[in-house]
Amino acid sequence: MIGPNGSGKTTLGKVLAGILKPTEGRAFLAGKDTRTLSLGAIGQAVGYLFQEPERQIFAPSVYEELAFVLRLQGKPPDVIDHAVNTMLGRFDLSALRDRFPFSLSRGEKQRLALAAVLVNSPDYLILDEPTTGLDLKNKRRLGGYLEELLDAGVGMMIISHDRAFATGYATRVIELSGGVVIRDSDRTLHRA
Amino acid sequence: MILTERFTGLDPRTKLVLVMVLSSLGVILQEVLLLGIVWFLTLSLAALFGVGWRPILRRSRMLFGIFAAMAIIQSVFTTGGHGFLWLGPVSVISSLGLERAGGVVLRLLIVVVSASIMATSSPREIVQGLSQWRIPYELAFMVAVAIRFLPLLRQEALETLTALQLRGVALEQLPWGRRLRVYSYLLMPMIAGVMSKSKELALAVEMRGFRAYSQRTAYRVLRPRPFDYAVGGGMLVGMGLFLWIVY
Repeated sequence: MIGPNGSGKTTLGKVLAGILKPTEGRAFLAGKDTRTLSLGAIGQAVGYLFQEPERQIFAPSVYEELAFVLRLQGKPPDVIDHAVNTMLGRFDLSALRDRFPFSLSRGEKQRLALAAVLVNSPDYLILDEPTTGLDLKNKRRLGGYLEELLDAGVGMMIISHDRAFATGYATRVIELSGGVVIRDSDRTLHRA
Repeated sequence: MILTERFTGLDPRTKLVLVMVLSSLGVILQEVLLLGIVWFLTLSLAALFGVGWRPILRRSRMLFGIFAAMAIIQSVFTTGGHGFLWLGPVSVISSLGLERAGGVVLRLLIVVVSASIMATSSPREIVQGLSQWRIPYELAFMVAVAIRFLPLLRQEALETLTALQLRGVALEQLPWGRRLRVYSYLLMPMIAGVMSKSKELALAVEMRGFRAYSQRTAYRVLRPRPFDYAVGGGMLVGMGLFLWIVY
């Protein structure tokens, strides 16, 4: 989903994730109206990456950040350890496992936030401006992770004003302006 | 309408005196009936200042849980009064428990609603008022910043809770013990957010010459009017008389 600042991309993303309730129309998740679903239930199926990674960091260490939700879900310790170590390795965070998350760099926080969303194995991802504040190297790195996820069959919606980045992975492109859809490829494209 | 304008236009120092009088009465008084009278007075004054009923009701609703918890705790752990509800030999709800819980909630309500009167002045006016009371500008500025940032902090806490739930934490399905642990995870981003905001704010104000000179010049100087003296003095005298009659 692309469009200039203030075009309504984030608002639509939040409506789809159930954070905002639609004033008109309905949003469905697997056939269920999001107004009838709790945020926790939506969160188990849809991973939402906020524009500001700090918004979704809760724990005092990188390891704990990835582990605490699984612990709350009552998963056994060996399953948690395996899932967390896999994510630490996948997102190059192993060396930072005991670090205080809020002291990480922007790129590291972004990777941690994405890893924390993915450790829950969501079926679908909504990524809100995932490239904000990332340099070229980190942007490429993020692109590599997204390619891996797409190959693994994880569906995703990338909300971005970075047209080149978003369309590079897209099979459908929707363009918003002033809260209105002004263009929709409306058909399945092949990934670039 | 004209009366509301006169009250909201009061010097922020007069409003501070008023808030201090009401809060002090809330702390000093012990009897529920007297606290009820002060609560009624606070509500009436808040109405005069044009403070809406809806925010008052919303805040009051949040205190019902505290009332219920306090009533049970006080009933179980204090002796005296008549027991209304018993669990074996333990009185779960007693007249003394209800009275004490009522006292605590009324005190909280008096403080919360009287503080909302201060919100009818702009932060700039409050800083100026405190400065003219010879309170160091840095401290006065911090008070104004705190008033400005409190609603934002609440908003941030709600957004953090949303983000936490979106991580797949179904709060409604968790037992109370685990749910409390979830709430403890909210503290980390909130404290980190406050620390980072304070650092940024400190840097921003220093960059704009916050303490460049030892003396500051104010374009707007507050001058109390006779109505300010009447309201402030009236409140102080009223408090003295009220306490003298009661005790």
